[in-house]
Amino acid sequence: MEEKGKKDNQPLKKDAPRAGDKPTAPEIVVSSSPHILTDENIHRIMHSVIVALTPAVLTSVYFFGLRAVVLLCVCVGTSLITEYVFQRIRGMPTTLSDGSAIITGMLLALTLPPAFPIFGAILGSVFAIAIGKQIFGGLGYNIFNPALLGRAFLQATYPVLITTWTEPLTKAGSVDAVSAATPLALMKFEGRMVAHLDLFFGNVAGSLGETSAIAILIGGLYLKYRGYINWRLPLGYLGSMAFFGGIFWLMDPASYPDPLFHILAGGAMLGAWFMVTDMVTSPVTPTGQWIFTIGAGFLAVIIRLFGGLPEGVMYSILLMNATVPLLNRLTRPKIFGEGGR
Amino acid sequence: MAGSGTILKEFKKGLWAENPVIKMLLGMCPALAVTNSATNGFAMGMATTFVVISSSTMVSLIRRIVPRQVRIPTYIVIIAGFVTLADLFLKAQFPVISKALGPYVPLIVVNCLIMGRAEFFASRHPLFPAIMDALGMGLGFTGVLVVLGGIREILGSGSIFGVVFMTEEVFTPWVVMILPAGAFLTLGLLIGIINYASQRREST
Amino acid sequence: MLSVLSLTAVVVGGILAGFYQLVYPKIEANRLAEERRAIFSVLQGATDYETMVKTIDTEKGEEEIKIFKGLDGEGRVVGYAFIAEGPGFAAVIKMMVGLNINRETLTGLRVIEQIETPGLGSKIAEEKFEGQFRGLAIKPRIEYVKNKKPEKKNQIQAITGATISSRAVVDAINNRIKIVLKILEDME
Repeated sequence: MEEKGKKDNQPLKKDAPRAGDKPTAPEIVVSSSPHILTDENIHRIMHSVIVALTPAVLTSVYFFGLRAVVLLCVCVGTSLITEYVFQRIRGMPTTLSDGSAIITGMLLALTLPPAFPIFGAILGSVFAIAIGKQIFGGLGYNIFNPALLGRAFLQATYPVLITTWTEPLTKAGSVDAVSAATPLALMKFEGRMVAHLDLFFGNVAGSLGETSAIAILIGGLYLKYRGYINWRLPLGYLGSMAFFGGIFWLMDPASYPDPLFHILAGGAMLGAWFMVTDMVTSPVTPTGQWIFTIGAGFLAVIIRLFGGLPEGVMYSILLMNATVPLLNRLTRPKIFGEGGR
Repeated sequence: MAGSGTILKEFKKGLWAENPVIKMLLGMCPALAVTNSATNGFAMGMATTFVVISSSTMVSLIRRIVPRQVRIPTYIVIIAGFVTLADLFLKAQFPVISKALGPYVPLIVVNCLIMGRAEFFASRHPLFPAIMDALGMGLGFTGVLVVLGGIREILGSGSIFGVVFMTEEVFTPWVVMILPAGAFLTLGLLIGIINYASQRREST
Repeated sequence: MLSVLSLTAVVVGGILAGFYQLVYPKIEANRLAEERRAIFSVLQGATDYETMVKTIDTEKGEEEIKIFKGLDGEGRVVGYAFIAEGPGFAAVIKMMVGLNINRETLTGLRVIEQIETPGLGSKIAEEKFEGQFRGLAIKPRIEYVKNKKPEKKNQIQAITGATISSRAVVDAINNRIKIVLKILEDME
């Protein structure tokens, strides 16, 4: 994620496009060396992310209908308004056109249950932008992924509403507003498994944009193709979940789900491709990225299997977000000629 | 020796300029732990006010006969005594509040606010200023706890001092506000907003 | 030097001892009144009760079990009440449980202490949940079902979204009933 310039269209310095980079002050981009000057800028990256989210948005509308459209519009709209108001209060140039508030709103909406009320969506978006981002100083200074922080706040604020799920409209014989259990909840509380194919295409109960693994995968691969995300982050996260989930599965296949289930169910895909890869809240060095993703994957599996809640992706990423400054410091590359100590 | 003006100043400083919670960040543990309702905040504030006034009075009275080397243990014994009195009193007369506050009443013993007033003020000042100082600090502490508890109760339960004025049909309570996380959020934002406002006032 | 400290401690200790004597009856009365309320709320028709104390050996060492025998106006036994506790979602849940005289069904449940998530797990202390235990069969053991109406006499419906708290209540009662039944049998 780049830093906002003084003027919106001002090109910014950026390093090799693939490395996640972390700005600390306007127009200065800090990442591990080597650095290359390119014409990439924050707008282009953000707009690519929006394009990459389109398949997930479309499938959410396909599976959950008008509710998905309403929640997406409310979240994006509230995020933009909050960002604008905060930047005006602080006397900063408004940077709505950089698209980062739109992405936060979209990501938050995609993690909400379809029947989530509008007032809750508004509250979550305000919290995500105000507390998650602007209070830290705006884009590039936030410690935690704003969308996930908004989701975590809603989880604690409306514990009932945010765990009330509905079946997708496409499911045979489903009636609107019938409460259903997510595949993860079925696994955890009733020991029942959902077919992998349903998880892959998304024909299950769950958060708006989290159900369809294929749609998220298409978007993620597009970002990878454009070079805006680092392969280590999503692969490390999903691999770590599959690995640790697999260990438990091998120990007792009857009571623990298989590795493929872990990476297809719940928010694993969306988290891996769009939240772990957040340039602001992930480490900049390769070693740091490995520690970050493996740790997050491990936490997600542990929370899913042994925690009170069926889903652990959100907390796993937020917890590891907190370690990013430390990881960056710990894994700083040696200056040339400094080695051999 | 001290005129009525300085006495008033000793009283007033605890209310705002040297408010224990929002300016000196003392007594954070009870301020965060028991403020899930305005009533609990008020009860904790009152218990603390009682302890700080009583212990400051005692400490000021015996300040000349306590040897320097054992002053801290002596203060602790005095404070612990008054805290136990307050705890027993609440248990006998207000069992419901006593249960709601739980272990946080005995924990007033380790509230830095009380030890701080004993060490920095009461042990160096005569009786009357010491009492005024303790009264101001106690009331300042109570005020912030009631405000914190009030904000958290309104948003977290839709009520104030136990009186429900927003039913669940019109307002879905923010459960987070009565959980520990809500305490940190509310206190942090409150202090942040106060600091922001006073900075702006200074700069203009 | 030490004399001042010792003197302070003695004086403070003396005052406290005196004050404790003064308020102890009131504190004890509060505790008893609360116990009475809880027992009578789970044993309909009881106007008085007897406390039976029995020490048993458990894996964790000796434990003192109190069983309250509920009596009606004429001194007849109307049922038994006992305290069950177990780990909930946040902390220990403590509750008073009423058992009917045939020792086959429960006569009521009252949650005494809990700090479960407000608005979610805390619903275990509401009549809608507690009422389900009235007339509930305890054999072979109490079970819970989710998101549907209970079909058997020994089933209750768990609170939606608070399975852990609901399960904690059921488990705690099941565990304690075994011990209580054993004690009651031994006494005959």
